[in-house]
Amino acid sequence: MSTQLSSEQLLHAYEVMRTIRAFEERLHVEFATGEIPGFVHLYAGEEASAAGVMAHLRDSDCIASNHRGHGHCIAKGVDVYGMMAEIYGKKTGVCGGKGGSMHIADLSKGMLGANGIVGAGAPLVAGSALAAKLKGRDDVSVVFFGDGASNEGAVFEAMNMASVMNLACIFVAENNGYAEATASKWSVACDHIADRAAGFGMPGVTIDGYDFFAVHEAAGAAVERARSGQGPSLIEVKLTRYYGHFEGDAQTYRAPDEVKNLRETRDCLLQFRNKTTRAGLLSAAQLDAIDGRVDGLIEDAVRRAKADPKPQPADLLSDVYVSYP
Amino acid sequence: MRQPGPIIGIIANPASGRDLRRLTANAGLYSSTDKASAIQRLLAAFGATGIAKVLLPTDMTGIAAAVLKASTGPMAREQRWPALQMLDLSLTQTVADTRLAARQMVEQGVAMIAVLGGDGTHKAVAAEAGDTPLLTLSTGTNNAFPELREATSAGLAGGLLASGQIPAAIGLRRNKRLLVRVPQQQLCEWALVEVAVSPQRFVGARALSRSEDLAEVFACFAEPHAIGLSAICGLWCPVSRQAEQGAWVRLDASATQVLLAPLAPGLLQGCGVTASGPLQPGVAYPLSLRSGTLALDGEREIEFAEQDTPTITLDLHGPLSVDVEAVLAHAARHHLLVVPRDQRHTPATLR
Repeated sequence: MSTQLSSEQLLHAYEVMRTIRAFEERLHVEFATGEIPGFVHLYAGEEASAAGVMAHLRDSDCIASNHRGHGHCIAKGVDVYGMMAEIYGKKTGVCGGKGGSMHIADLSKGMLGANGIVGAGAPLVAGSALAAKLKGRDDVSVVFFGDGASNEGAVFEAMNMASVMNLACIFVAENNGYAEATASKWSVACDHIADRAAGFGMPGVTIDGYDFFAVHEAAGAAVERARSGQGPSLIEVKLTRYYGHFEGDAQTYRAPDEVKNLRETRDCLLQFRNKTTRAGLLSAAQLDAIDGRVDGLIEDAVRRAKADPKPQPADLLSDVYVSYP
Repeated sequence: MRQPGPIIGIIANPASGRDLRRLTANAGLYSSTDKASAIQRLLAAFGATGIAKVLLPTDMTGIAAAVLKASTGPMAREQRWPALQMLDLSLTQTVADTRLAARQMVEQGVAMIAVLGGDGTHKAVAAEAGDTPLLTLSTGTNNAFPELREATSAGLAGGLLASGQIPAAIGLRRNKRLLVRVPQQQLCEWALVEVAVSPQRFVGARALSRSEDLAEVFACFAEPHAIGLSAICGLWCPVSRQAEQGAWVRLDASATQVLLAPLAPGLLQGCGVTASGPLQPGVAYPLSLRSGTLALDGEREIEFAEQDTPTITLDLHGPLSVDVEAVLAHAARHHLLVVPRDQRHTPATLR
């Protein structure tokens, strides 16, 4: 799979990652004010994974996410203002303000939904991949799950079904090292989550999740494989989250300088900027312009979301059942 | 008074065998369980050849733990495994762990380091080993430097050599290496098999297995039966491990005729060879591309841009490795593994 990307593709990848980072870092600040209902689980640090995979997908391809889903939504093209309003519980949110952070879904973009149930996205994409197959379409379905979910039976069942039925399904295990507060090196019985693919007759690879180009290349190979009818695969993306499991997590299970060191040496945005400017493919000015534009976008999204109305009691039962013609 | 028995270090790369070639080719998986079993087979052979102690680094994937557990069992006692000493390293789960383990083993005076990994793992160990010989075992994907061999027979050869029963002139061979210099980045790296020049601009997922991603290949040695990027030279202008030169080929995706070469397991690619020649030792060869990446022993490691001027130099003074076939042939000629039936569990060197 080629890593030769055009300037437009490179700029788009940077904008996606930068938008996710700015979105999450702003939420980190805003959540502390107490204005946001429910919980939020921030994706900051993991941007290269969502951007690298989604660069190969189109709107008709489906993804399912988990509780840490903001990055997947943004990379799949869900409207940033609509997401912010949803997280604030406002009627203008992409789910009418009734889903919140852990249930953002936008079927027009192929985003089947974030999901508060660990491992529950995997059977959903097995289903969407089966639907694509039955319809004779070459659409691909991708599930993002964590190292904790990699131990869940639902994930194994979905992997088995995807393999048995040769579905265009890609299992992306974002291994950030911790399932809530439990280290994956303690709780995952095999040495690499990618090794579990062998048990289901599909290939599995382990990829550096701090490097957009590594993820992009591996995901490209997996998508090409799935789209051409060669079946499912598993990609283990090794990365870290910059914040706690949820906002408010004291993170006593992490070494004091763990995140600081990774931010300084491995950060995906920093690496992307250094690599593309040194190679002469992008200029610092182009990237700075994106930074400015993204900051404005997030500021606008927060301002509007805060001012928007909440759903009313009359909205309670709308969007619950499909209205059949 | 009996001299203290020899010590051997064992380094198994927990990460080898999981790269992109599982998706792009039909490369297999070499699990940590397999690696732990291979180490146990080595220990049986070392026990039979009088090795007193083995140094083994800790790891995050359970390899050392599985070996440690087995070392207290009945098989270990019956086979008189060497004493096992763990090197308790501060792990980073990167190649730095391999290099640190090799460095500590050399400092502790090991007679040999057994390496379980691919070409990349062997290169990392060799960078620290100096003239400490390597016993090479393949557990990677595209391996040209370590030969595919069963750990038990390799362990017998290593044990016989480390315990002084085989003259070094018979059992050891000096390997070549390629020095890769990028002065603008203060880089001087080396490769044990080949350096490939790719127009791909980024290291990305590291593995290279498509002919259109290759512009040049420089090889220390290139065997016709090789798998991986050196197979292009091996099937076009082969050069042996012993020859005092290497080989290079230049490739062009638009060539009308192509050479079919196995660039990865199960992946035969048509490679348009447009020029080739010998690689003379000590000569710094410039590259034909002005920007791209350099893959050292199959994996992209260095990104270079127009401001960089990388060179490749063949050096005949690479690491020492055990010639397993030569050692075991010598052992057979001199009946070194023949023991009285009632002493079959006594290490050969202690008789």
